[in-house]
Amino acid sequence: MRTSFVFSEVVTGLRRNVTMTIAMILTTAISLGLLGGGLLVVRMVDKMQANYAGKLEVSVLLTNDVSANDKDCTQQPCAGLRSQLEQTSGVETVVFQNRDEGFERFKRIFEAQPELLKLARPEAIPATFRVKLEDPDRTDVIKQAFEGKPGVKGVDDQGKFLERFFEGLNGLRDVALILALIQAFAALLLISNTIQVSAFTRRVEVGIMRLVGATRWYTQLPFLIEAVVAGIIGAVSAVAGLVLFKAFFLDRITRNLTESGIIPPIGYLDILFVSPWLFLVAIVISATTGYVTLRLYVRL
Amino acid sequence: MIRLEHVSKVYKTSTRPALDDVSVEVDKGEFVFLIGPSGSGKSTFLRLLLREEVPTRGRVYVSNFDVAKMSRRRVPRLRQSIGCVFQDFRLLPTKTVAENVAFALEVIGKPRNTIVKVVPEVLQLVGLDGKEDRFPTELSGGEQQRVAIARAFVNRPLVLIADEPTGNLDPDTSQDIMLLLERINRTGTTVIMATHDHGIVDSMRRRVVELAFGKVVRDDARGVYGVGR
Repeated sequence: MRTSFVFSEVVTGLRRNVTMTIAMILTTAISLGLLGGGLLVVRMVDKMQANYAGKLEVSVLLTNDVSANDKDCTQQPCAGLRSQLEQTSGVETVVFQNRDEGFERFKRIFEAQPELLKLARPEAIPATFRVKLEDPDRTDVIKQAFEGKPGVKGVDDQGKFLERFFEGLNGLRDVALILALIQAFAALLLISNTIQVSAFTRRVEVGIMRLVGATRWYTQLPFLIEAVVAGIIGAVSAVAGLVLFKAFFLDRITRNLTESGIIPPIGYLDILFVSPWLFLVAIVISATTGYVTLRLYVRL
Repeated sequence: MIRLEHVSKVYKTSTRPALDDVSVEVDKGEFVFLIGPSGSGKSTFLRLLLREEVPTRGRVYVSNFDVAKMSRRRVPRLRQSIGCVFQDFRLLPTKTVAENVAFALEVIGKPRNTIVKVVPEVLQLVGLDGKEDRFPTELSGGEQQRVAIARAFVNRPLVLIADEPTGNLDPDTSQDIMLLLERINRTGTTVIMATHDHGIVDSMRRRVVELAFGKVVRDDARGVYGVGR
């Protein structure tokens, strides 16, 4: 097979159909970009789950009265609650955090948001037992046992909060993937159409090729490669798009959350990790679409 | 070389067969005119040889190929042993004369060094040396047909099929083209030419196979276009 011949055919083909080619590349790029975004969310959720596993705590929040008057948890009901917590089976550690310590921690977490800090008062922060469990899934035990006891304002389960957060993220991922799928369908139709147009503009050439006995691969390969090249350019644009999105948009809006360690940052490494999949999907989709189109619609 | 045995071809869109029980045998090195009015089955005859069509009944043999029965994968081999020339030349307007001829070799994967050797040879044979770098639009009709013949012949086919090759040319130019086809025929290539051109058929005195309504109505070893004319 003469590769130089095939590639010169590919280049002329792409140039001749330049508007269609651009449309094809753009839809492919958007579809792959959304797919990449979805995959990044999946990675982020995985990372977060790994990060938080073993670190999740249940917070037993104490009433205003206890918070204000018992700074060291030496009086009742605070001391009693502490010993009860420590004796509950499955509890690993219990740490008391009084109102001032709690306020310090709050200031640390939200130091990037001075507006919020200005509004906050120590009085709003309750004293808290931070309870770490051997099995983070058994938070209900603490909730049932301590909610409503004297001196307890409420029991806060970080796991539940995180679950809701993950649900939100997973919803985001699903939306991205569904949009990716719709775009992929549009890309597929465009690839198919471009190949048909391409084959039509080259019908004299293809006719001659068939007559002089060119094999099917020789006649079809330029069209296939044309589709695959456009797919690859689409994948490159999608990866570039993700990098730009991260650099100019995502980093800016998630800076506070990532710096305080609430959500893990999405790094360039993550993008590097998902991009091979984007290329793979681009190549497989464009090649199969191309092949099927040639088989069904184009007599070569 | 070429043998049709009781070949019939019925197109789906037509009730009347395009070819009706046709049996013809052509030996290696023969020159055959295929004549008959439009719709008599000449084109179908040629298309069957190229396996552009498959016969509804009967067998078609070209060289060692059982054309009707062969697998699709072998069709390119068959076509590489047949050269084709048409009334409308079918040249690529964006390629030069030499590139048009080279194209036929490139697409069947011939190596570069073979191409640069044989293309000038065949262009000289058809009398186009010195015009290698012209584009088809810069040539006369006769010259364009020479390019087409060069392209059909450059791979040294066993058979050359010409479908009304002089249909768009004036009588003098047609004569030149016929001389060229004769010269190619003398190299041992079988030539089958479909034509309406009385003058040419009458002056060449070669074998004439006449079709009418899909049947062979005449097969003269040294015929003329119309009997009694």
